[in-house]
Amino acid sequence: MLVELALRNLARTKVRSVLAIVGILIGVMAISSIGIFGESLKAVVLENFKDVANEVIITPDYTHGYTSISERTVKKIESLPYAEMVIPVKSTSSLVEHRGKRTYATIYGMDLEKVKSLFELKSGNYKGCLVGSKIAEFFGIRVGEKISIAGREFRVDGIIREGARFDINPNYAVILPMREFNRLFNVEYSMVIVKVSSMDKIDAFKRAVERVVNRKESKVSVLELKMIVDRLKKVFSKMSLFLMAIAGISLLVAGISILNIMLMSTIERTKEIGIMRAIGAYRETIMMIFLLEALVLGLIGSLIGGALSVLGGYAIDILILKTAKFVFTPSSIFYIVLGVSFGILTALVSAMYPAWKASRLEPIKALRYE
Amino acid sequence: MIELIDVVKKYRIGAYEVTALNGVNLKVDEGEFVIIMGPSGSGKSTLLYLIGCLDKPTSGRVLIDGIDTSKLNDRKLTELRRDKIGFIFQQYHLIPTLTALENVELPMVFKGVSKGKRMRRAEELLELVGLGEKKDRKPKELSGGEQQRVAIARALANEPSILLCDEPTGNLDTKSGKVVMDIIKRLNVEEDVTVVLVTHDPSLKVYGDRVIRIRDGRIVDAG
Repeated sequence: MLVELALRNLARTKVRSVLAIVGILIGVMAISSIGIFGESLKAVVLENFKDVANEVIITPDYTHGYTSISERTVKKIESLPYAEMVIPVKSTSSLVEHRGKRTYATIYGMDLEKVKSLFELKSGNYKGCLVGSKIAEFFGIRVGEKISIAGREFRVDGIIREGARFDINPNYAVILPMREFNRLFNVEYSMVIVKVSSMDKIDAFKRAVERVVNRKESKVSVLELKMIVDRLKKVFSKMSLFLMAIAGISLLVAGISILNIMLMSTIERTKEIGIMRAIGAYRETIMMIFLLEALVLGLIGSLIGGALSVLGGYAIDILILKTAKFVFTPSSIFYIVLGVSFGILTALVSAMYPAWKASRLEPIKALRYE
Repeated sequence: MIELIDVVKKYRIGAYEVTALNGVNLKVDEGEFVIIMGPSGSGKSTLLYLIGCLDKPTSGRVLIDGIDTSKLNDRKLTELRRDKIGFIFQQYHLIPTLTALENVELPMVFKGVSKGKRMRRAEELLELVGLGEKKDRKPKELSGGEQQRVAIARALANEPSILLCDEPTGNLDTKSGKVVMDIIKRLNVEEDVTVVLVTHDPSLKVYGDRVIRIRDGRIVDAG
């Protein structure tokens, strides 16, 4: 009966109620749409890091006096659980020459089969010597031409596509097959790149490293790229939150309009409040009637707004990201639920003061109010 | 039983203090029909609202069935109004959004009576005041007299022992007024409901067991 009473009270001032609903609707839609967009933006950016997110870089623990990783340690790492692919890397810096031009570059020794999973080539193939695009540009070199590394000549078999990694800068790298590298330089491994079977196994893998490799002494330290990706995620989440907060202002305005119309109704209905108090309504009952009205406004506005925010998110994604493939994801549901909850909450919070005010009316004064 | 002891009621209107009641002592027995008469501004309505626990005296005590209302908090006063007192106002004071039936149900809603039970009772009561057929009408679709009969039905919803009437016929023509008064009188006689009725219409005197006259906040004739 109280619900019916609330509904009929809202129906009494139809235009006003509809406007309040539209206000909430816009607020919810703004929050949810922008939330969906923020998540899509994050997804688009992270897609680029998809390949590296499960990578772990193992470097010598310099603080404990280790400057390289021994063959024995590499073998141990290869035997660890969850290590899907282990890429040991040797590196040193050396003079590189081509037709009288010379520069210093970092020379990497790696198993070429595994290089495929780290770098793409702009031209050539993964056979012998690979050079970074900036080096190639510097020498004006093409696939098939020769360069001299530490006094020995190599045919350039591939040029690495421009890119960015946290461990190796591919643009300035010169990569040799491990066998060739060993002929030129006598150094131990400088790092080991490990692809862990899945992102959630990274912690388990790290524990295994500590247990097996660093048991007696801390020989290596482990850097997970996931950490960097997580940081990025956090940055994007914060940005998303900031955008949503701006969208939240529209909900705030909607809340104020509910506050306003509810205050108007308490004044218009002063007499009715007095009558209800006279015939036995508690203060809380009066409060409840007003809160119910706000709840109805909030529910209707929020649910429609939530539904429409799928369209809103879709539109913003298409407009800014040029793709809508991240709209229909579970995270979107989260942002819709978030928007809807905020909408309902805003309506209720806004009605709190008018409801309280209505409930505090003295029955006698309310009855005599003209 | 209703008892007022040395009741004083003062109002502040702006900078002025108005003494609406100035030391009123009154006793109304169970089942009595008391009519309070006096010119406007004499304090008769204030007296009625004090009995009805809608207002508290500035000093003095109001006892309803031996309960000192000045000692009750808002919640207890609300329950007292809901369970023991029925109000009938000059302007009927029905809730405009609710049908006749729903208006009669409302005090029972506040009391927590179940839907089926309160609907049956509301129908009975509307039947009693002769409006069984018009139970689904909204107040504005009813005549003044009919609205007042709905108000009577509503006042009776929680089987009160006291019926407080504030100029119940003030807005009605003679014929409708008579119908309303006859119902009130019948309730008093048949159901033993205590009635306190405020009016300045001398023709209602015949319905009362006793007529109390009030002037300038004092009882000048206790009947």
